[in-house]
Amino acid sequence: MIKTEKVLHLNSSKGRKVRVVREHYVREQVPCGSSLCQADCHNDGKVLSGDVTHYVVPDVGVVRDFLEILEFRELQGIVLTQTAYQTVQHTRGRRQYNRLRALLKDPRHDCVLFANEFQQYCYCPRDKGESQDKWHTRNVYNAAVWYYNHLAGLQPVVMITEDSDAISEFSALNMLNYQYLFGFRLDAAYDLYNSIAQTLQERESEGVEKVYTEHLPAEVLEAGIKSGRHIQGILSVNKHRAQLEAFVRYEGSVSKNTELNSDVLINGAKHRNRAVHGDVVVIDLLPRNEWKGRTMALTEGQGEEQPLEDTQSQPMPSGRVVGILQRNWRDYVATFPPLEAVQSQSRNSQKILVIPWDYRIPKIRISTQQAEALQNQRVIVRLDSWESTSVYPTGHCVRVLGKAGELETEIQTILVENCIHVPTFSEAQLREMPVNTEENPWQMDTSEISSRRDLRETHLVFSIDPKGCEDVDDTLSVRTLPGGKRLELGVHIADVTYFVREGSLTDLEARSRATSCYLADRRYDMLPAVLSADLCSLLGGVDRYAMSVLWELDAETLDVCTVWYGRTLIRSSYQLHYELAQSLLNGEEIEVPELSQLKGSQRDQKQAELLQALETLTRVARHLRAQRDKGGALELEGVEVRAQLDEEKNITALVPKQPLEVHETVAECMIYANHWVARKIQENFPHQALLRHHPPPKQEFFNHLIGSAKARGFSIDTRSNRALADSLEQAVDPQDPLVNKLMRMMATQAMSNALYFSTGACPEEQYYHYGLALDRYTHFTSPIRRYADVLVHRLLMAAIQLEEKGSLSKPFASNKELEELAQHINNKNRAAQHAQKQSTELFQCLYFRDKDSHTDERCVADAVIYAVRTNGFLAFVPQYGLKGAVYLKNREGQVVSVDGDGRCEWKAGILQRYPDRISTCTSTGTHIFDLFDHVTVRISVEPSRCHADSLCLELISNKPHCAVQPESQPAGRGRSELVQEVVRWAEEASLQAEEERGRKSKLSREEKQFRQSRTPNLYVLLQEISELALLDLSVCQIRNTEEQTCTASS
Amino acid sequence: MAGLELLSDQGYRLDGRKASELRKVQARTSVFAQADGSAYLEQGNTKALAVVYGPHETRGSRSKSLHDRAVINCQYSMATFSTAERKRRPHGDRKSSEMSLHLKQTFEAAVLTELYPRSQIDIYVKILQADGGNYSACVNAATLALVDAGIPMRDYVCACTAGFVEDTPLADLCHAEESGGGTSLALALLPRSGNIALLQMDARLHQDHLDALIEAAMTACKGLSKVLDGVVRQHLEEVSVLIRD
Repeated sequence: MIKTEKVLHLNSSKGRKVRVVREHYVREQVPCGSSLCQADCHNDGKVLSGDVTHYVVPDVGVVRDFLEILEFRELQGIVLTQTAYQTVQHTRGRRQYNRLRALLKDPRHDCVLFANEFQQYCYCPRDKGESQDKWHTRNVYNAAVWYYNHLAGLQPVVMITEDSDAISEFSALNMLNYQYLFGFRLDAAYDLYNSIAQTLQERESEGVEKVYTEHLPAEVLEAGIKSGRHIQGILSVNKHRAQLEAFVRYEGSVSKNTELNSDVLINGAKHRNRAVHGDVVVIDLLPRNEWKGRTMALTEGQGEEQPLEDTQSQPMPSGRVVGILQRNWRDYVATFPPLEAVQSQSRNSQKILVIPWDYRIPKIRISTQQAEALQNQRVIVRLDSWESTSVYPTGHCVRVLGKAGELETEIQTILVENCIHVPTFSEAQLREMPVNTEENPWQMDTSEISSRRDLRETHLVFSIDPKGCEDVDDTLSVRTLPGGKRLELGVHIADVTYFVREGSLTDLEARSRATSCYLADRRYDMLPAVLSADLCSLLGGVDRYAMSVLWELDAETLDVCTVWYGRTLIRSSYQLHYELAQSLLNGEEIEVPELSQLKGSQRDQKQAELLQALETLTRVARHLRAQRDKGGALELEGVEVRAQLDEEKNITALVPKQPLEVHETVAECMIYANHWVARKIQENFPHQALLRHHPPPKQEFFNHLIGSAKARGFSIDTRSNRALADSLEQAVDPQDPLVNKLMRMMATQAMSNALYFSTGACPEEQYYHYGLALDRYTHFTSPIRRYADVLVHRLLMAAIQLEEKGSLSKPFASNKELEELAQHINNKNRAAQHAQKQSTELFQCLYFRDKDSHTDERCVADAVIYAVRTNGFLAFVPQYGLKGAVYLKNREGQVVSVDGDGRCEWKAGILQRYPDRISTCTSTGTHIFDLFDHVTVRISVEPSRCHADSLCLELISNKPHCAVQPESQPAGRGRSELVQEVVRWAEEASLQAEEERGRKSKLSREEKQFRQSRTPNLYVLLQEISELALLDLSVCQIRNTEEQTCTASS
Repeated sequence: MAGLELLSDQGYRLDGRKASELRKVQARTSVFAQADGSAYLEQGNTKALAVVYGPHETRGSRSKSLHDRAVINCQYSMATFSTAERKRRPHGDRKSSEMSLHLKQTFEAAVLTELYPRSQIDIYVKILQADGGNYSACVNAATLALVDAGIPMRDYVCACTAGFVEDTPLADLCHAEESGGGTSLALALLPRSGNIALLQMDARLHQDHLDALIEAAMTACKGLSKVLDGVVRQHLEEVSVLIRD
């Protein structure tokens, strides 16, 4: 190790230049990270493969500006120098640096970091007067030369740079030439290169006219936050008035000012000062006389009109953004304008304003020469910067998704907007999978068989799932133990962790996906199909690995005596579905498919055995349920599921006409298993177990519910979960079952989401699960489709090992890592739910798009008023399960008047709003709309080129709509038909367009790939809503506004 | 600069060392003729000068002297040009008096003071360039100076700092690492017996990590003691060659 010195010029805290001398140690042995290494370097971790044509050494400038191109997986054999790595860290900020780090860590990318500055022969000290860029380039060149020699010339090394001097001096290549020379057929990379280069070029030739005030430097901001002068928070833009209103929510309460416990309003683009939705910003409060109120009226479309003064609420704290601590930019989907608009927009047609799909994101300026080719296409756009001289941020186009309005494009849009990344599983991942084909069937390991408890002969195991389900991840068993004193209840879960080893590629992929994603017409699995539909799935009649929880219960009192956890071997004897199980229980004469081969008495005996097991199971489940109720548990959940199910579309499709008891039986057993596993892992790992909690909701969120209930004369007690459940139980209007349903919906809206957390990150009293009324809870029963369950399985195995051997073979993830992972899974879950909801809306819109709303019978529906605003009300349409705003006042200032037989038309008049009703007053008379009134609305689609289409409700009568279809038809079936119909249309349309290319076969292959079973496991969905969400997503946007109203009024 | 990566994913520190590697140590003894003992020590870019006078009769009031052992008097100071920004450092400011006290405690544990009752030993240390680990550089320099002065000691006193970043203990922190906001522990060790003369840590650290941190610091100290021993032996050789002539 040789010591040298490095002279740096830094800025001191007072802003002066300081000359700092730093030590710099160089050594001979620096691992090169190539598998071709001839010198026995200690290469641990990732190594470059030897079978590429050459290695690439990108220069500092290339890494800094063209990182995105390096992210292409097709680019292999990249040697990143430490020089470039550190420059990115110093000049580009945390985000880009983290991306670079992620790139280096990702085993799927063929690139390594070479610490060239610590290599004795690579490092060259900076000459006097040499510019920093030159010095860096020289260093990188030296590194490349050394690398070539180090590998003894086995592999050509190519250096790429954008610096023209360096090209001539060192005969390096620039990016463009590189791509040509080495014949990458990467059109995408080429386009990306052009768009980035153009953006860079233009940034230099930018005008100097300032549109926004400059941001303050980071030190000033930090000092300001500490002293309380500035306030830090996350900017969230109001979706409905994206250009005007944004709010900043506090992070922690730094301010001692008690007035400021609500959000701060940021009014207008000037005050928002280039912040984008989601950024962490620092704000200054404005003086009190400049405070503004928030707009309370419903607005149509985007807020083009200036809000009227009288529709504003009380002035609330307002502020302006003075600095941005962290940009949270992601990939945005945006739409190119049609050609006419482009031509009128700018003369040089190089810069084009594209409109993001998300309302909350401002228009983005893009430099491209492909505007003509891309008109009306949706593209993925990345933001580069937002200079103070520019009205709009600049960005560049990354990938083209397709034409706006097509089904595939829209689905891709939804995925991108929710940051859901679901490429097909790579070959390397699939190679890790066990093989199970007909000629080469998968077999169990003999050593595994001996190490597991074998339940194949002793236990009668069966599964109950919806019809046609393929991914069975839970099975049940129950038997009376010898002696008859005790019962043994067993829950057996697919042993996913046996196949998905920690740290394997499949595991990494599953971790980054975190959950399977169900959209209205397809699903994206977390695990490859060979696992999720075959080897992990606990199918009937085959031997499978399982993780089991077995309880010994007292046969009389049903108290738990002992619990056993562990890995087992099972063979499911019966793969039942719910209806079949229920009819067996009801004593109906029914054929069990598994027994149809058997004859007479043998069959009767087997069937009696099964029936007895089912009956015992039902008895146990009833007892468990009663026990939870007794312990202060709430009835809310059970009923809630049913009410909730009617809101969610593709879930509704699964709802049977009447909920069967056997559903609850299965659900109860699973909740029980989850609870006991949670207890076990929490006791063994008090600081690093993954649990799930559901925080109690804030009381003020219930205000809307209480107010609405009062309008109908009910009183709701929200002090505890039990009180809430009881009072909801009583609030039933005998004439109108929808009233109760809507109130349950409001209660659900008031609640927060259930979340995963690591036990070390949370005090013990916060472990409580409000929805289920359990002190500890986790997810254990669906490892095929949730990554959290996989983690819990590993924790459980570790806990068993700890108890048996007293030590762990390898340390488990620390609390910090686990908490980060829990946050990641929570985020992914939320994204998946958003995507699901948006795809539902998409299908609703597609369904109504081709119908003429004035002639088509299906576009007229019954709706119920559930909230009142100043210029209209919000209504719920039970038939289609959709919600929307109904306006009583149009843009000309006319209001709706109702004539004698209930029909409505626009007339001049005034509107008056009361807490629980709204009235219109015109020349023909006054009409009052009360909460929970039934009205008739016409549904039409409001097309939007750049955003998602939206549905628009128009009042046509104040009388309930007499449905043409019988009321008794379950809404759910209507909606599942809707999805299928839209899918069919899309297929037909694409078939017509590309008949010769036989697109249909492609679609059906995709179908096979993504839809192993069309219907997701019902239990899983029931549970999902009951305790994961407890939140109706289709009302998120409304809830948002309500929340703010609540805080503003309180 | 916030957010410096103190330990890269490949295990390199800012200046290219691995986690347990020390900075380069260079030292010389007998740099001054007037003093009884003196030494100059560089630990990386931290440079310290130590001078020892004594043992001699107690200066000033008699009451300070102890009847059964010698009094050790330490004085620590930093040169105005020692840091990146020039700053006048008057004697007796809080930081340097604290450091003086630490030095005193360290050497009271190592010097066989009971051999010299009613007398006094003066140790003066000055930091010429500060680049992290000032205390340890001072202790190491003063040890050499004491050896040079021929004052009997139980053992060399070797000091080293250690920090804790991303679950890894780092030995011998430089200034950038020290100011990076992490934990820093200073440890003075009598290497042969393994006794700790002084241990100091201000920052918060989880109890589980303390053992690992102390272990790292002790290993570093033992490494240092070999270097110091080498310096002393080389000096002896030089001197004995002179005597022989």
